[in-house]
Amino acid sequence: MNGAARNNGLARALLGAISIGSVLAAWWLVTSLELVKPLILPPPADVWTGFLDIWHGYLNVPFWNHFLASISVMLGGYAMAIVVGVPLGIFMAWNRVADWVFGPLLQILRPIPPPAWIPLAILWFGIGYAGKIFIVFVAAAVPCILNSYLAIKQTPPELLSSARSLGAKPRTLLFEVAIPSGLPTIMTGLRIALGIAWASIVAAELVVSLAGFGFLIMNGYRNLESNIVFVGMAAVAVLGLLMNVLFVHIERALLPWREDQDNG
Amino acid sequence: MQNDLSYENVTMRFEGRSGAVQALERFDFQVNSSEFLVIVGPSGCGKSTLLHLTAGLYKPPTGRILLGGAEIKEPGPDKAIVFQNFSLFPWKTVHDNIDFGLRINGIPATEREEQIKRVIHLIGLEGFENHYPRQLSGGMQQRVAIARSFVLKPRTLLMDEPFAALDAQNRQIMQEELVRIWQTQRPTVLFITHSVEEAVFLADRVIVMTRRPGRVKEVIDIAQIAGENHWRSDPFDEVIRRADFQDTRSRIWGLVKSEISVRN
Amino acid sequence: MADGSAEARAGRLSIEAAPKGATLGDWIEALPNAVRVSVMLLFWLAVWYGVVELFNVSKDFLPNPIDVLIRIVRLAWEPVGAGALLTHAWASIVRLMWGFAAAILIGVPLGLAMAYYRPLQWLVAPLFELFRYIPPIAWAPFAMFWFGAGSAAQAYVIFTSSFAPILINTFRGVQLVDSRLIDAARTLGAKSWTILFEVALPAALPHVATGLRIGLATGWMALIAAEIVAGTGSRDGLGYLILQGQQQLHADLTIGAMVLIGILGSLIDVSIRTAERRFAYWRD
Repeated sequence: MNGAARNNGLARALLGAISIGSVLAAWWLVTSLELVKPLILPPPADVWTGFLDIWHGYLNVPFWNHFLASISVMLGGYAMAIVVGVPLGIFMAWNRVADWVFGPLLQILRPIPPPAWIPLAILWFGIGYAGKIFIVFVAAAVPCILNSYLAIKQTPPELLSSARSLGAKPRTLLFEVAIPSGLPTIMTGLRIALGIAWASIVAAELVVSLAGFGFLIMNGYRNLESNIVFVGMAAVAVLGLLMNVLFVHIERALLPWREDQDNG
Repeated sequence: MQNDLSYENVTMRFEGRSGAVQALERFDFQVNSSEFLVIVGPSGCGKSTLLHLTAGLYKPPTGRILLGGAEIKEPGPDKAIVFQNFSLFPWKTVHDNIDFGLRINGIPATEREEQIKRVIHLIGLEGFENHYPRQLSGGMQQRVAIARSFVLKPRTLLMDEPFAALDAQNRQIMQEELVRIWQTQRPTVLFITHSVEEAVFLADRVIVMTRRPGRVKEVIDIAQIAGENHWRSDPFDEVIRRADFQDTRSRIWGLVKSEISVRN
Repeated sequence: MADGSAEARAGRLSIEAAPKGATLGDWIEALPNAVRVSVMLLFWLAVWYGVVELFNVSKDFLPNPIDVLIRIVRLAWEPVGAGALLTHAWASIVRLMWGFAAAILIGVPLGLAMAYYRPLQWLVAPLFELFRYIPPIAWAPFAMFWFGAGSAAQAYVIFTSSFAPILINTFRGVQLVDSRLIDAARTLGAKSWTILFEVALPAALPHVATGLRIGLATGWMALIAAEIVAGTGSRDGLGYLILQGQQQLHADLTIGAMVLIGILGSLIDVSIRTAERRFAYWRD
């Protein structure tokens, strides 16, 4: 069985390498034979110069400015969404009056897709950071609220009964039973929110911005520099991946008692 | 022997989707102090309801339940409950699970540690203090759940089919273990089971309940049959071969069977 | 176990520690859900109205709910850009359907094949991982390079957004089919095609349906984003209405279009949830 597993692992790695390798080879071949125009698909060499261009300051804006512009706005809106959304969701789940008051409001706002807020944010806050923080906040708050709400509502009844039987009062039930029990679900909500927040900041920067990765991509498009667009997309993907990996590590450190902690 | 727990005319009904369900009807009973009382009956006869009412998890609409002369109004550590699915807090270690009840009831730290050490020794789980529930077998988890209630020195211990989730071997071991643990403090025990064998082995008295709405069908005084030295102190596989044990078991099974309608 | 239902109910009761009495809260709780929700929605609309009127908020910034409602009604016949409300709604739906249909046509068969034929899974999975972290809307510029700025580019963005959940759920649905079912079918003499079409596929169908629902929801989100970002070539769509409102400083148009998008999105979600339940009729 071990041998078979090892063979499977080998075949898997091999096929994976073949698939990525052949895509890269096809990319190189198609562009160097000039079967497609560089605008449709930039050749690898162009992408490299595009990368150097951005790294050394595309349109005289240093790379780190783009990085900081996107990351700081995103983290600001994301942090606000967590600080507001998680307590609100928990409160709504624990207190029926809060549920009656805020539930309908949430139900009415939820179906509006986050990108639909972009023009309104521009109207209200202008094209600066405030509007983008608002967009990220609106987008990320929804999964924070919903998952926190669900997390508390889904506390196993026997755990609450056990704790009450051991003498726990409502405050203890909330802080020492319902919240720890729901923490995995809350963390899932925060992870979903992280992805949505990142996609939202990129979308907002595509519409209007003075820096950031969305700005790079949009400028590449306007100047018909597909290699700049390519590098911008790759940067967005790599940073999205890194943030996700970081999040999974934090999640595991916070929840050492979980059974499925090894398949993040 | 003095009365410890008394049920006066207890009725309970649930509002279900398909109309009201009468779970208990005019349940009248007296439980003696330090008695080991086992309740058997067909599925859905209101056994669990009776236990939850006794735990104070909710109040009967009519009738009263008195513990030591005072009406039960809310749950508390003097009537701790142990559930079938163990209901340990998965985010707490064995030590912290047992500590929970002590801590929220305001016991000083030094005394808590002493008590925890005592019950961990009692259940034979030294060395597992820092394990999480998921790292323990079902039998070990149920030992911890019993210890978590037992450490609070409850006047009454309520057990809701505590061994139903264990395999046959572990179940036998746990029955003998429970007797040993129980005899160190001898609280009043209310024990629910589907296993007639288990009931006859453990009980001072067995209540057979009717099918829904549950009432007392018959009370069998096992202590009288089991003799001065109750057979539960002997190994289970020896007891089970005794003729008087076999007779009692058949008799009770006959009573239960007559209450199980074919359509259940 | 038959005591389980009572036990579960007991647990739920136990969340509210206090015994039930005839308090105002209990009276409100006894009201039908629809009544409670409607009253609260009216309350929030009144708050909105009150804030606008009390602080004299400019109409360009935040119009009151009645202005927005009037704007929505006027949209029914008054054209903005390419036409009136129905033109825009129809344009959005058509785009959504093109992108969604392409995602189904590629995602479902590929997901099935990947789950059924492991080497294909090993071949596709790394590529999938490579593209997974690109937000769909970031594809918009390339989509416009490829297809020109217009409906096709927007449909492509929708496709990239719907594709992933459809593929993943189909794949997982087949993978999660209880292997005992397949073994049982095999001992009854079923051949592999029979197993695929009569065991694996029906058993996976609820997952596929879930994938379609999530795919449609993410596609709807991508549609609005695409109409705002990649809409330079087209003058229709609900996202175009939002953008027009902003560019002409007509906040009532922007908010009105957002409300319409919310309503249409909810309608789509409700209908596909109903359909999803049909697919899984044999579940409890």
